[in-house]
Amino acid sequence: MKSKIKLQKSFRSKANTVKVLLLSLFFLNGACADFVEVEVPTNQLSAPLIFENNTTATAALVAIYAKIRDNGMLTGNPTGMQAKLGEYADELTFYGTGAQIEASFYNNILLPNNQVVQTWWNSTYNQIYATNALLEGVEKSKALTAVEKNQLEGEVLFIRAFLHFNLTNTYGAIPYITSTNYRTNTVIGKTPTKEIYEKIEDDLILSEALLRDEYTSTERTRPNKATMQALLARVYLYGGKWAMAANSASAVLNKESLYQDESDFNTLFLKENKSHIWQLKPANQGGNTLEASTFVFLQGPPPGVALSTDLVNSFEAGDKRRTNWVKEVTNGTDTWYHAFKYKLYDTTAGSVQYSIVFRTAELYLIRAEARARQGELISAIEDLNKIRNKAGLINTTATTQEQIVTAVLKERRNELFTEGHRFFDLKRTHLLNEILPFTKPGWDNNDQVLPLPETELLLNPNLKPQNTGY
Amino acid sequence: MNKYLLFRGWASYVLPSLLYFLVLFCVPNSFAQSVPVSGTVYDAQGALPGVNVSVKNTTTATFTDGNGAFQISATPEDTLVFSSVGYVTVTTQVGLQTTLKIIMQPDETTLEEVLVNAGYYKVKDKERTGSIAKITAKDIENQPVTNVLGTMQGRMAGVNITQSSGIAGSGFDIKIRGQNSLRTDGNAPLYIIDGVPYAAEAIGVGYTATVMPVPTSPLSNFNPADIESIEILKDADATAIYGSRGANGVVLLTTKKGAAGKTKFSLNMQRGLAKVTRFADFMSTEQYLEMRREAFANDGVITYPANAYDVNGTWDQNRNTNWQKTLTGGTAQITNIQTALSGGSALTQFLISGNYSKETTVFPGDFNYQKGNVRVNLNHTSDNKRFKTTFAAGYTAQDNNQPAKDYTTESKMLAPNAPALYNEEGNLNWENSTFNNPLRILEGDFLAKTSDLVSNLGLSYELLPNLVVKSNFGFTDLRHQESSSQPSTIYDPAWQVGPQYSLISQGNTTRQSWIFEPQLNYTQKFANDLSLDVLIGGTFQSQNGNQQVYRASGFTSNALINNLAAASNIMVDIDDQSEYKYQAFFGRANLNWKNKYILNLTGRRDGSSRFGPGKQFANFGAVGAAWLFAEETYLANSIISFGKLRASYGITGSDQIGNYQFLDTYSTGGNYEGIIGLLPTRLLNNNFAWETNRKFEIALEMGFLKDKIFLTLASFNNKSSNQLVGKPLPGTTGFTSIQANLNAIVQNSGIETTLRTINIENKNFSWSTNFNATVLENKLLAFPDLVASTYRNQFAIGSPLNIIKMYHFEGVNPETGLYQFKDVNGDGKITADADKTALVDLNPKFYGGLQNQISFKNWQFEFLFQFVKQKQINAAAIGIPGTMSNQSTELLDRWQKPGDQAIHQRLTSGLDAAAISAQTNYYSSNANVTDASFIRLKNIALSYNLPKNWLRGNSCKITFEGQNLLLFTPYKGADPEFMNVNSLPPLKIITARIQLIF
Repeated sequence: MKSKIKLQKSFRSKANTVKVLLLSLFFLNGACADFVEVEVPTNQLSAPLIFENNTTATAALVAIYAKIRDNGMLTGNPTGMQAKLGEYADELTFYGTGAQIEASFYNNILLPNNQVVQTWWNSTYNQIYATNALLEGVEKSKALTAVEKNQLEGEVLFIRAFLHFNLTNTYGAIPYITSTNYRTNTVIGKTPTKEIYEKIEDDLILSEALLRDEYTSTERTRPNKATMQALLARVYLYGGKWAMAANSASAVLNKESLYQDESDFNTLFLKENKSHIWQLKPANQGGNTLEASTFVFLQGPPPGVALSTDLVNSFEAGDKRRTNWVKEVTNGTDTWYHAFKYKLYDTTAGSVQYSIVFRTAELYLIRAEARARQGELISAIEDLNKIRNKAGLINTTATTQEQIVTAVLKERRNELFTEGHRFFDLKRTHLLNEILPFTKPGWDNNDQVLPLPETELLLNPNLKPQNTGY
Repeated sequence: MNKYLLFRGWASYVLPSLLYFLVLFCVPNSFAQSVPVSGTVYDAQGALPGVNVSVKNTTTATFTDGNGAFQISATPEDTLVFSSVGYVTVTTQVGLQTTLKIIMQPDETTLEEVLVNAGYYKVKDKERTGSIAKITAKDIENQPVTNVLGTMQGRMAGVNITQSSGIAGSGFDIKIRGQNSLRTDGNAPLYIIDGVPYAAEAIGVGYTATVMPVPTSPLSNFNPADIESIEILKDADATAIYGSRGANGVVLLTTKKGAAGKTKFSLNMQRGLAKVTRFADFMSTEQYLEMRREAFANDGVITYPANAYDVNGTWDQNRNTNWQKTLTGGTAQITNIQTALSGGSALTQFLISGNYSKETTVFPGDFNYQKGNVRVNLNHTSDNKRFKTTFAAGYTAQDNNQPAKDYTTESKMLAPNAPALYNEEGNLNWENSTFNNPLRILEGDFLAKTSDLVSNLGLSYELLPNLVVKSNFGFTDLRHQESSSQPSTIYDPAWQVGPQYSLISQGNTTRQSWIFEPQLNYTQKFANDLSLDVLIGGTFQSQNGNQQVYRASGFTSNALINNLAAASNIMVDIDDQSEYKYQAFFGRANLNWKNKYILNLTGRRDGSSRFGPGKQFANFGAVGAAWLFAEETYLANSIISFGKLRASYGITGSDQIGNYQFLDTYSTGGNYEGIIGLLPTRLLNNNFAWETNRKFEIALEMGFLKDKIFLTLASFNNKSSNQLVGKPLPGTTGFTSIQANLNAIVQNSGIETTLRTINIENKNFSWSTNFNATVLENKLLAFPDLVASTYRNQFAIGSPLNIIKMYHFEGVNPETGLYQFKDVNGDGKITADADKTALVDLNPKFYGGLQNQISFKNWQFEFLFQFVKQKQINAAAIGIPGTMSNQSTELLDRWQKPGDQAIHQRLTSGLDAAAISAQTNYYSSNANVTDASFIRLKNIALSYNLPKNWLRGNSCKITFEGQNLLLFTPYKGADPEFMNVNSLPPLKIITARIQLIF
């Protein structure tokens, strides 16, 4: 009997237990949404946190420079535009034995599904996304000081303009992307080149107000106000705004404490040279430029590209650039030439060369051309001779406006080869069809712009129509 | 019906509640005039421990002890009931007997009693509404394999398992009813060991396990000898209770437990040998040199170049080495020792086991794979039988040491007249820097050390007679380190490469998880016809992972290559920490009316940390129903002894997308000005949710002639949608895809059949046969914007996922002697995008197994044939024929002069661009895919039980086992089993085993 009572008692207490249990299940239910929340992992940083201090915000900024250096159009790799547009125009001859597809830039037979055509597009817009993400983050940040914000925004606006500038000169009408919103960016339409130029100028003028003359470090590896002005000079030149192009170039060249012209070819492409305005620093300690591995070869036939004989033959006798920046390689029967501005493709004890994006020589030539086009012939000749004399050449014999402009363009070819200028120069001066058909059998008028990537048109029909001829 | 419920059900969860209900209220009355009754229970083999002995209509019950003896109180009017799983229940009136001798007969219609583990609950095989395949320790024990997944090959319908490499310690690929997710890494089933989920994601990366074709899998941690049963849940009814993790099926591993009775000690010793199953036929020196000379002649080369050592006289042209045999033809030694101690009383049982295995390599050199394992299982039931606890813990340590590279490809490519491996001094022979000695690879090591703990504790308490509260706690801890080294000694010493060029890649992975699952189980019987079984529960699970991968180079000495401190450069590739949290509520309600009509409802509300706010939770569920039509009176005395028609439909999901995909974060990337850059990790979308998988199945199960013939036919159709692949986006968004639910639909449909027959069964001789076959069709039904996505070269709508797009081969042009391909778009060129339109399906068309088990007195003999109908890339096709690389003897049929009708094109020494280009296209054409169907004698085992009377009741069994012994296939490239053409094929194994039980 005793045991029965005990059992019944425990039965009652069990019934209570059930209630408690059900109740606790109910509470667990309430707690569950919290349970599946996780902290941001240690190898990632939450986006708003990036802009809580200048160190992480700066890391987000320099990551864009690393991207520009390593991927897309501006990289010194064989797939960058210095090589590919050099092949596409008349600077480089492609010798690679790989699949035919790799030779299609050289042969001017690009198809909309070309891998490089697609990679340039995707990488550049990916870099643009990073600039927009940074702009949005900096704008929202309450922790960054005004000075810090100015520096970050100034640099980012400059890069955004620069990236779009390269895109529109390659692809023609393109979307100008200023937000990270993928919903609008998925259906965005094309903006005509003229309007793109206006937007680029707007971004650069905004950037001008924010950037300072001083570099953030002694190495000139982040853009300053002069870098932005150098780009602006280029943009005005391409857009035919001669006076403004000349003014912007002068704005840079007048900063004599920062920029000096050196004529010693032994130091001209070294990282410390005072004629550099902006250069990209290699990734690794002791690393040198990607351009050197792309252009330099030790024995023939070349594994990739060599300078076209047309370019090599275009140097005047006694041109120091021909002797210092062009190197001959022979196997006894055949001879090839490679660009030798960047000489070091291996690591060295400390880095010796960086990849130069803007240097003063271009600005002299911009100003020479802009001045000539405005009829300021004497000062134009002065600028032109500055470059010629540096190369060990006598003063130009050009006297008329037309002669001077032609002389400047020829000088650009010999001064700026394999730096990504040739195709754009021929294009903006409407000389593509005058010059290329003689050396490039595959060339036709439609090749002035690259095709839009095929997948891009499939995914966003608003980008239609495809560029003419593709 | 009553008899069934009362006497068969002790092992189910239904009966205890009823019994204990009676204990609570009736105990005082039934003690009235009872007397002690004792006795012993036997079966044909001897005393039978663990038999449930109860007094009918009372709660008095006990179990027989280790000697089969029992003692119980009963009145002469009482009836005693003896029941045990697998035996026919015996009832006897006590009368005047006080000592009883009971003989129990094995139950022929075992299906009635067989319990199937469905994860959170167990169900009688007869009454299950879902699709569950099962193998038990009996199937596992005779297979000399070290990986649990390997033991299932060919034995389960709907389960396709392929070995990734024959190298010891390598993994297996498992697909349950086809590939559901477009992501190749999103198709793993959920693994549960004793109720504890076990993460199956790889624990290594490709370049730290250079010898393996796929990154190291943690699943080799399980020890097959510890497994009591493996159940695979396949349809919605069975998997929906696992909700978001059930889409790809669920693999339940149950470990062995101790049994009440005399303490038993078992010792199992196994020794054996393993060799590669099959080599491809490659050319002899004579054939090879003839090929080389012809290739040079074709290219117009008269003076052989300086580097053509094989034909220009540098190497001895009379040497003839079969490099496949020399480099992969060794014999691996297999040793396996297993000991276990088990026993216990009716209330407490235990099992302690230890295992050690070692397998050497078929490659040259001294390499081996070692695995050690200890395991404890404890079960305890309180005196009043209301409180039950189980505890299981297993610790496994693996140590794998292999050469840094698999020799399979190199062994095919080496010229048969290549020089000797060692010079006269016994050093590696580099033949004056003309021979890249293959044994250089042995200088580098793949080293892997893994330790793994899986433990769980289960507690259950009967609150009310029909209400049980249970809880399951689990903890796992895995630590893995692997490295792959490339010391400078792998280079020809003439190059004078020092240890400053030595490299090592090393990875460390740790993973810890815990789980807590409270549950309530309620059973109720209404009248005599309807019973209800309800389970509700919750899951709280957390998993933490850590992974670091380094690459180190520049050592001062090769002896220090495993010491990172001795490296001058260390690069950290991965330093990753992750946390995965998972939470759920689940339930099951099972209604059984007259044991004829059964309705099973399962559901789960799931939350996973892999999804963003608002998307973490989702509901999954299924309905299953069964009609046991043989129970209908009009079939009562027919030859149909069992008949069930079952169907199920439901939704399961998948969250296998990796962690943190929804977060708006920046990750490290790019180094600039000495600053490690931070980049937006991804395009932010925190709005994606589970992949969903809708499963439908209808099945018929029938037994004839007292289930001597038992047939199952199941038809299923599963559709996976909401696929979590990157949704293609235009590049202007900054990215080419975004993590989102893509409205792509993948369908897997098929038919599975199993047939079990007991052909002969009498006292001394029995023979039974098991057959299973699966026909499966996988199809991509929809994929928005496929042509614009990066998947366009991989998938085609209306075709299976596992296709390759290839050129259409059109034979060898008799005039040019070159391979020809169809120019589909007629542009005069063969280009990948336009002309690769031949879709080759690499999925198996059907697969299955046929097993026979024969026993005659003390002898048992069983064998299993596995068959697969499939196509595969020809692994014997390699390199450019005519260059310095040996070729398959298939190349003997080749074009030699205009007008030749040949299978293969003209040879080139490497100078004929047109031939090289055609050869490259050939490898990407449908001609390079051949029939790789096979029938394989997967397993054969012959064992002999020494008569018990020789051993005083102890037992001793001697077994000879063979794995992969015979292979029938038209395939030319060595072994047809797997996709990884460049890795070592599975091995054939022969072992002898002696098993002692005291």
